[in-house]
Amino acid sequence: MTIDSTALTQAPLAGPTPKSMLPKVGLRLPRSPKVIAGLALLAPFAVVAVIGRWISPYSPNATDPQHWVQHVLVPGTGPGTGITANYYPLPLPPSAEHWLGTTVFAQDVLSQVLTSTQATLFVGLIAAVIATVLSILFGVTAGYFGGNADEVLSLISNVFLAIPGLPLLIVLADYVPSAGSSILLVAFIIAVTAWAYSSRVLRAQTLSLRNRDFVEAARVTGEGRFRIILAEILPNLVPIVAASFLFTTLYAIYAYVAISFLGLGGSPTSSPPGLWNWGEMLREGFANNAIRGGWWWWWAPPGLCVALLGTGLALVNFGIDEFINPRLRVAGLTRKAAKKAGITSHATLGMTPVVGNRPAVPSLAARSQNVGDAVLEIHGLSVDYGYGDDAVHAVVDCDLVLRRGRVLGLAGESGSGKSTLALAAIRLLRSPAVITGGQVLFHSKPIGGDGPRGTIDMLASDKEELRSVRWSEISVVLQSSMNALNPVITIGAQFDDLLRVHRPKLSRSARVERSGELLDMVGINADRLRSYPHELSGGMRQRAMIAIALALEPQVMILDEPTTALDVVTQREILEELIGLRDRLGFAALFITHDLSLLVELADEIAVMYAGRLMERAPAASLFNAPRLPYTHGLIHCFPPMHGKRERMQGIPGSPPDLNDLPKGCAFHPRCAWAMEQCRHDVPQLAPVNGSAREVACWLHRGDAKVPAELARPDPGVAEVHA
Amino acid sequence: MSTETPVLEGRDLTRYFWVKQGRGPLARSVPVHAVDRVSVRLDAGKVTALVGESGAGKTTVARLLAKIIKPDEGQVLLNGRPAPRGRPRSYSSQVQMVFQDPFASLNPVHRIRHHLVRPLEIHHMAGGNVDAAVAELLRRVALNPPENFTGKFPHELSGGQRQRVAIARALAVRPRVLIADEPVSMLDVSIRLGVLNLLAELRDEERLAILYVTHDIASARYLADTIVVMYAGQLVESAPSATLTDSPAHPYTQLLLSAAPDPDRVTPPHLEGRGAPPSLSAPPSGCRFHPRCPFVMDICKREVPPSIAVSPGHVAACWLHVDPAERGGGENGVLATPSASMENEIKR
Ligand SMILES: Nc1ncnc2c1ncn2[C@@H]1O[C@H](COP(=O)(O)OP(=O)(O)OP(=O)(O)O)[C@@H](O)[C@H]1O
Ligand SMILES: Nc1ncnc2c1ncn2[C@@H]1O[C@H](COP(=O)(O)OP(=O)(O)OP(=O)(O)O)[C@@H](O)[C@H]1O
Ligand code: SF4
Ligand code: SF4
Ligand SMILES: [Mg+2]
Ligand SMILES: [Mg+2]
Repeated sequence: MTIDSTALTQAPLAGPTPKSMLPKVGLRLPRSPKVIAGLALLAPFAVVAVIGRWISPYSPNATDPQHWVQHVLVPGTGPGTGITANYYPLPLPPSAEHWLGTTVFAQDVLSQVLTSTQATLFVGLIAAVIATVLSILFGVTAGYFGGNADEVLSLISNVFLAIPGLPLLIVLADYVPSAGSSILLVAFIIAVTAWAYSSRVLRAQTLSLRNRDFVEAARVTGEGRFRIILAEILPNLVPIVAASFLFTTLYAIYAYVAISFLGLGGSPTSSPPGLWNWGEMLREGFANNAIRGGWWWWWAPPGLCVALLGTGLALVNFGIDEFINPRLRVAGLTRKAAKKAGITSHATLGMTPVVGNRPAVPSLAARSQNVGDAVLEIHGLSVDYGYGDDAVHAVVDCDLVLRRGRVLGLAGESGSGKSTLALAAIRLLRSPAVITGGQVLFHSKPIGGDGPRGTIDMLASDKEELRSVRWSEISVVLQSSMNALNPVITIGAQFDDLLRVHRPKLSRSARVERSGELLDMVGINADRLRSYPHELSGGMRQRAMIAIALALEPQVMILDEPTTALDVVTQREILEELIGLRDRLGFAALFITHDLSLLVELADEIAVMYAGRLMERAPAASLFNAPRLPYTHGLIHCFPPMHGKRERMQGIPGSPPDLNDLPKGCAFHPRCAWAMEQCRHDVPQLAPVNGSAREVACWLHRGDAKVPAELARPDPGVAEVHA
Repeated sequence: MSTETPVLEGRDLTRYFWVKQGRGPLARSVPVHAVDRVSVRLDAGKVTALVGESGAGKTTVARLLAKIIKPDEGQVLLNGRPAPRGRPRSYSSQVQMVFQDPFASLNPVHRIRHHLVRPLEIHHMAGGNVDAAVAELLRRVALNPPENFTGKFPHELSGGQRQRVAIARALAVRPRVLIADEPVSMLDVSIRLGVLNLLAELRDEERLAILYVTHDIASARYLADTIVVMYAGQLVESAPSATLTDSPAHPYTQLLLSAAPDPDRVTPPHLEGRGAPPSLSAPPSGCRFHPRCPFVMDICKREVPPSIAVSPGHVAACWLHVDPAERGGGENGVLATPSASMENEIKR
C-alpha cells in the first residue's frame, strides 16, 4: 500500500494536558507568598555574608578600653573588707557609638554579628555544597549502577545514617582542635555527617529513573553511561537536589551553631583563633551571665539571626516542595480562584459543589415524554474544573437518559469528558470540579432492600440523601478500581463490612452466604472470600469490584472503562457476566469506554462525546452502521476490521482538542473533512434528524446542507421496524 | 516467507528473571520463565507482529532483540551472523527501538532537538549540518513544519506527536531494524492509525524490518505481514497475517480471536478456554495452554508440542496438528478435523 501520513499531523495544537505533570525545566519557583517572604528574609543575610567583614565598624575582637566601665563591685571585696576592690565589667547597652551595645569585654556586638553572619553562612553553604556533591556521587552512582557498587555504596551511606549526627560531629570537632580556625575544615566535618540522608533519597530517585523509558531509549541510541547520568538523569533530579541542598544548608548552620555553642568551634581569642560565629557569640553570652544580667543586646541578635535564617530557608523549601509536588500547587491555586469567583468550596469528599443559581431545565415529564422506564435523567448538565476565568468547561449542556434494564454506551476520545459527565451526575467528583448547570433526577424504585422511593433531585440533595442513594441504588465501577480493594483485608471481610452497614438486618451467616453468592455471580469461586486482594489476578479483582458494586442490588450501575486495563479474554468474560446479570437483575447501566467497537456488541444505545459535548446519540446498530456525524464516522474507521480485505484506513487527522483553547463553532471543525463556513462560527446543537430516534449535533443535517453519502447510509434500525 | 537471510533473527531465545518469593529470611529466589525458546525473524521490508496477552513475554522478546537485556540461552543474529557481545554502537546503529509510552520515553527536561541531535552526534550521521538533518528527520515522521517542533519540550506535544518524535529518534541512525513495543497502545484511538500508517510507510519506502509488538490483534492484522502469537513465554503460532486471523490453527489463537471486539459479529462469541494465563514461575508441563485448552489430550500434559507446518509459512505448536499415529500411544478424544471445530469458533 502506498501511504501518505502527511495529512495526519498539523502544527502542534498544544495537545491535551499531559497526564504526568513532570517538572518542566530547571528551577522556576512558583511566586507564592511563602517563597517571596522566605527570599525577603534571606536577602539581608546574603548581603551581609558577602560584605559583612568590611562594613563592621570595629574589629570583633577589639576591646574598647575606654569603656571598660567598672560598675559592679564583686560582693565581699572593696573598701572595708580588707580585700582589694574587685570590679566586674558591665556591657554597655546600645548607643550611637555601639548600635547593638557591647559585650562584657567591651567588644562591639554589631561587629561581631556582622562577622559571625559571614562565617556562619559560609560554613553552612560550603558544608551543603560538599554534602550535596557527596550525596550525588554516592546516591546517583549507587542507584544507576546497581549491583555490587550499589551494595557497597549503600552500606557506607547507611553506616553514616545510623551514626547519630551530633555526637559524631562533637567527636570529630574534638579530635581536630584546629578545625575551628578553618572554614573549610569545619564545613567538611559537618558535611561528613550530613550527606547520607540526601544520598539515600537520590539513590531511590535514580533507581526509579534508571529504568524509565527515556533512559533506556538513550541507552538504545548508543549513549555512554556517564553522559546518561549527566545529561539525562541529573537534570531530572534538580528539584530534589535543590531541596536537599537547602535542607542541608539549614542543618549545617544549626550544626555549626551547636558545636560552637558547646565550645568545640575554637575560641576566636585562642590560638589558632577560631572564627566568630553565632554559636560562639551565644556561648560567650551565656558563659558570662548575659541572660541573668538582662543584657539582651548581647544574646538576642545572634539568636534572632538563627531563627530568621531558619525560617527563611524553610519557607523557600516549602516553595520547592510545592514545585516538585504539583498536587500541592494545584490545590493552592484553585482555592484562590474559588475565592475570587465568590464560591466557597468545601473539599467534602464525594460532594461535588453545585453553583447556586442554575438556569431551570424542564424535565422529561414536563416535556411530556415517556418517563415510564427512565431511572436516571440528566438534563443540560454542565461541569467546570476550576472557577471564574480559568475554569475548564469539561462538560457542556449534556442530556442523557438511562432506562431500566438497558445499557447506554458513552464513547469518545480521552479527555472528552465522559468520566466527568457520569461522575458529576452522582456528585462523586471532588473539587475543583463544580456543577454549573443542569438537573439530574433519579427515579427510584428499589429492587431489593429498603432504599428511598420516588424522584430524587441529585443536585439539590444533601449529604445524607446522597449517601443513601449511592452504592445501594447507584453504584460505580472505575477503570482502576481493582486497585481500590483494601490490600490488608480479605475479600470476604470487605463484602461483610459493606453488607453490615447497609443491610443491618442480615445475620452474620446470612452475610457470608450472600457474599459467596455475589462472588459466584461474577464467576469467582466462593472459596476466594478468604483470599487477600494480592492473591487474585487483575481480572479477578475487577470482577470482585463488580460484585461489590452489585452487592446491594442497585438500580443503576455506572461502569467507567471497567475492562480497559484487562486482556481481551478476561474483558470478554467480564462483559458476558455483566450482560447476564443485567438481564437477570434488571439494572440500568451506563457503560463508558473509548472502544466503540466494543460498545456496539454491548450497548442498546450509544452517545458520542467530543470536547465536552454530546454530539450524536442513536441506537447502537444505527450509530455504528449508519453514522450521521463526521466524527462518529471517523471514529468507526479507526478500528481495523477483523475480516475481509486489508485496506488502508485514514483515522482522524489532527489531534484531540485542548479544552483550554477550543476552536470556535463546532469544536470538531479543524479535523472535519466536511466542515463548512457556518461550522467555524456557530455551535451546532443536538437535535433529532428528520423525526427518527437519533439525534446529532452537526450543521450538515440542518437546513438544506447537502448530506454526503457516507453520512446518509440507510438506518438499519428503521429497516428492522418495517420488516 | 522469503528465503533471504533475515536482517535480525532471534534463535531459541530463553530468558529467566529471578524473583524473590516470601519475605525476610525465608525468601528464596525462583526463576520466572518469561521467554522460553522463542525464535523470530525480521525481514527487510516486512512488518512482523508479536501478539499475546499481558505477561506473555512480548516486551522481553523485544528487549532481547534490542540487546537491552541478555538471553540466558539462544542467540541473536544480525544479517545472518551472531550479533557482537554487549551492545556496541555498531549494533545500535542498525537496531533501534520505540517504546510503549510516549509520555515516558522522551526526557521531560530536554527539547525535541536534543532528542534528535544526540543519536546523530553519537553515530556521526549529521555530516556537518545538524539542523538540516534534524529538520529532515521531523519531516520524515510528518511533523511539519519542523521549525515548530525543534524548540518544544515533550510536554508541549500531543501523544501522537511525541510518538512520532520517538520514531524520528530511532530513525536518526538510519537503522535497518525497528523494534516497536506497543507503539500505539497509549495513544488515543483517533490518532493510532496515523502512527501505524507511518510505520507502514517506513517499511515500504525504506525497507525497514519492523517488529510490531501489540496485544491488539486487529491492528496486527492491519499493519503486519506476518503475525506471531505468544502464550506464557512461548510461541504458539505464526503465519501470514490474513491467514492467521482467517484460519487460526492453535486453540489459543482461536480464543484470542473470538474474544476480540468485532462489530461485524452477529451472535455473541462463544469462548473456549476461559481462565487466566499460568504462573510463569511454575509453568504447566507439556503444552503450557493445556489447563485451559478445550481440545486437551493426554499427551499435551506430558510433552511439549512440536512446531508443525500447517500450511506453507503457517506454523503452529500444537499436538492437534501432529498425525495421531505419531503422537505416541495412550491418547484419546482425538478430534476428527480440528479445522471443522474452528469453523464454529470464528463467526463472520
Ligand atoms: N482535576 C482536574 N482539573 C482540571 N481539569 C481536569 C481535571 N480532571 C479532568 N480534567 C479535564 O477535564 C477533561 C475531561 O476529563 P475526563 O476525565 O472526564 O475525560 P474522559 O473522557 O473520561 O477521558 P478518559 O478516556 O481519558 O478517561 C479533560 O480534558 C481533563 O484534562
Ligand atoms: N525485570 C523483570 N523482573 C522480573 N520479572 C520480569 C521482569 N520483566 C518481565 N518479567 C516477567 O516476565 C513476564 C513477561 O513479561 P513481559 O513484560 O515480557 O510481558 P508482555 O507480554 O510485554 O506483557 P504486557 O502486555 O503486559 O506488556 C511477566 O510475567 C513479567 O512479570
Ligand atoms: S458541524 Fe461542521 S465541522 Fe462540525 S461535524 Fe458537522 S460538518 Fe463537521
Ligand atoms: S497441544 Fe494440546 S493442550 Fe496444547 S493447544 Fe494443542 S490441543 Fe491444546
Ligand atoms: Mg475517563
Ligand atoms: Mg509489554
